[in-house]
Amino acid sequence: MLRFLQWRSLFRRNKFEGEMADEFAFHIQGRIDDLIRNGLSPQEAARRARLEFGGKERYREECRESHRLHWPDELGRNIRYSLRNIRKTPSFSLAAVASLALGIGVNTFVFSVFDSLVLRPLPIKEPARVAFVETASGMNAFSFPDYKEFRDRNKAFDGVAGYRISVMNFERGGEPSRMWCYLATGNYFDVLGVKPALGRFFHQADDVRPGASAYVVLSYESWQGRFGGDWSVAGKSVRINGRPYTVMGVTPQGFHGTETFYWPEVWIPMMMEPQVEVGNPWLDIRSTWNTMMLGRLRPGINRTQAAEDLNRIADDLARQYPREDKGLRLRLAELGFMGSNLRQPIEAFTGGVLLLASLVLLTACSNLAGLMLARLSDRQKELAIRVSIGASRLRIVGQLLTESLVLAILGGAAGCATAIAACKLLSGWHAPVDFPVLIVATPDWRLMAFAIAITIGTGLLFGLGPALRSARADVNPLMKGSSGVAIFRTRHRVALRDLLLVGQIAFCFVLVFGCILSLEGLQRAITLPLGFDPQNVATAAVDLGSAGYSEAQGMLFQQRLAERFRELPGITSAAYANSLPLSIDQSTTSVERADAEDKGGRRQEGHANYYEISPGLLETLRVPLLRGRDFNDHDNEHAPPVAIVNQTFARTVLGTDNPVGKLFRYGPQTPPIEVIGLVKDGKYVSLTEDSDPALFRCILQEYNPTSTFVVRSRSSAATVVSQLRKEIAALNPKLPVYGAGSLESMLGFAMFPMHAAAIALSAFGVLALVLTVTGIYGLVDYSVSRRTREFGIRMAVARKVSGCCA
Amino acid sequence: MHRKDKKAAELLQGTLDLLVLKAVSLGKMHGYGILLRIEQISGGSLDIEQGALYPALYRLERQGMLETEWGTSENNRRAKYYILTSRGRVQLKDEESSWSRLVDAIGTALKARPSEV
Repeated sequence: MLRFLQWRSLFRRNKFEGEMADEFAFHIQGRIDDLIRNGLSPQEAARRARLEFGGKERYREECRESHRLHWPDELGRNIRYSLRNIRKTPSFSLAAVASLALGIGVNTFVFSVFDSLVLRPLPIKEPARVAFVETASGMNAFSFPDYKEFRDRNKAFDGVAGYRISVMNFERGGEPSRMWCYLATGNYFDVLGVKPALGRFFHQADDVRPGASAYVVLSYESWQGRFGGDWSVAGKSVRINGRPYTVMGVTPQGFHGTETFYWPEVWIPMMMEPQVEVGNPWLDIRSTWNTMMLGRLRPGINRTQAAEDLNRIADDLARQYPREDKGLRLRLAELGFMGSNLRQPIEAFTGGVLLLASLVLLTACSNLAGLMLARLSDRQKELAIRVSIGASRLRIVGQLLTESLVLAILGGAAGCATAIAACKLLSGWHAPVDFPVLIVATPDWRLMAFAIAITIGTGLLFGLGPALRSARADVNPLMKGSSGVAIFRTRHRVALRDLLLVGQIAFCFVLVFGCILSLEGLQRAITLPLGFDPQNVATAAVDLGSAGYSEAQGMLFQQRLAERFRELPGITSAAYANSLPLSIDQSTTSVERADAEDKGGRRQEGHANYYEISPGLLETLRVPLLRGRDFNDHDNEHAPPVAIVNQTFARTVLGTDNPVGKLFRYGPQTPPIEVIGLVKDGKYVSLTEDSDPALFRCILQEYNPTSTFVVRSRSSAATVVSQLRKEIAALNPKLPVYGAGSLESMLGFAMFPMHAAAIALSAFGVLALVLTVTGIYGLVDYSVSRRTREFGIRMAVARKVSGCCA
Repeated sequence: MHRKDKKAAELLQGTLDLLVLKAVSLGKMHGYGILLRIEQISGGSLDIEQGALYPALYRLERQGMLETEWGTSENNRRAKYYILTSRGRVQLKDEESSWSRLVDAIGTALKARPSEV
């Protein structure tokens, strides 16, 4: 297209030039003929005709100008001239291009992350009509029986799909490996309106009877990676948790479900849930809320109407099942982050960083404007000469603007290259966690538009002021041979450079102080007690459920493995749990005081983070035990149910600081559990959370096949990890190990937003400081050079240097 | 020096445009013919370089006062002809009347005698 336009304009131009030459030739020939007819010799006639016509070149140029065809010429000249100037002052140019590259690069990079996380619509049919369903309090999952009611009884949606992020053991030929998936209801792909790249997708009819739909749909990436892009993959068999599944199809490239950061490898029909999440079937349990919902709105229905429709059903459910669904209210949210609880902070964070980045760019702009102004004072003679030999003001402004735009484009190109490289790095970066988190920031038209707009905007921003100023300059003093200091004399009391200086210092202050304050806040959040000590602790996890262990076998395996770990050299203690605080896999449970109804019927209810831990885990993680005792081997299934709680749990649920001996339960129908210990509060889900209630049960009483082993060693954790793998392999060589590493690096997931923010903020602060210091130096240098004469006179008169320094 | 030149050119530009429009209004004509016609109707008093005619022609074409077409000249050569558009005709009328008003006003002013002031 561009090539075509170039050719077209070139063609038009050639035609114009040719016709103009013909016309002039016709004129001169006509004149020669007339002059010969009047009696002149041919030679004399030709000479006279040319003389009378005047400067052909000049009139050609004037004709082009009249026809508005001159600007490509002038632009070409301006650009050549600018490039010459840029080469002539390499240090200035380098500084300018470098600071622009930084400013534009940072902005483009941050924007591309913002774009790919927040702005870019998902690759599904009419994404605007698809919404995520969450509770009014922000919970993002529902029970599967409730989901079915919403799916079948709503009147506002073309379809409501249920899905869940899950993980299983995948096997094809050799070694089994852990693989993340979406469990999705049969209507999932139809609701999203996605077409398979290969084979077919499952539909509602394929997902009816539990355990009867052993199909998988592969993601494009896993088809490429694990199956080498095999075109005959549909119909082939794979094993998941030891059972055969048939590959049904492949999703189109770029489609990875509805969570922006999550890249699953397969989709499995929801009815296979009991087979995928072995030992934890919940499809028929109304009190287990594990199903996320999304729906495609009927045409003409807006989100408020749809939410009303869902709440009508929710009211019915609350009446029908008061125990599970009392007070259930629903609302719609944007797709992409499993509801608005996660989306809002991500949007706020990336938006805030973008704002900071634009402040950095503004600093760079004002800095460059100052330098440009200073440099123009060196070029005043040249400009004055150009004005006096007839260059129009517009032309001078055009020339100077071209120069700043050329600089901006060079800086923008360098910045874009940096940003794209940074995006590549980010896209290839796998968070150090057992979870396929990817932030794929690929350049798209929105990014290109942003980069171009920001580059041109920048060029105008730092170029326009100085250019206009110099075009207003008075030529006469210069031509009279004065030293030229007068050319940029300011007509106003507040000079442009003063404004620049003030603006620059203001930006710098805002940035640096903003960064320091935020860093301090982060520091405080990071140094807040975790509630445990991750140093010198190594972890390794196995999923015994997917590996086919029964409860009895699994429990035995866990105990034997923990014993083997304890016998390793350099190990001080070893224990295990279903999950660790600040890892990704977190569970909560509803709790209430067991004696609540006895005390005036006022039930104290709440939710608590929930862990199943082995005896010795608290000691291994160094969680301070404030009262009572830790679990021991006698707290098994034959003993009365016991639990350890944290301070917040004790205060909010049990209403006491000494909960030992108090009773609580999960719900009215469940047996009471006795509290035997109190531990210090910690962080459980995120580093920034307030203190939340937490509850620990003994894994010997409440078996869980998901087992994360933790080992405290005397030496650094990294050296222990290979020993852990060896011990696991000695017990079962076919068991996939995941999450193996030091606990500190596992915490990277929780720490990542903090670290990212800290790095971004410090980088911005330093950048702003450097830019401002160089900018101020440049401006002061310039203003001193302008006033050398004045200072000379002052010093001659006052004979004091101090007067000039003031 | 430079400025003076520019002023003269500006003064000239208005009158040159008017003369070109007038000349073309007498019938479609090529550039050289327009020059001869202007010399003829102005009694040869216009002292410009002949090339200066063309920027004016191109400008008037650009402004939509003139149209062009290629044709064959009286001596059988390919030439570009200029034709007055309806817009050019309106413009010419406007300029003619404002020019006469100016001439009248100046003329009256110059005829003024001391007794009338």
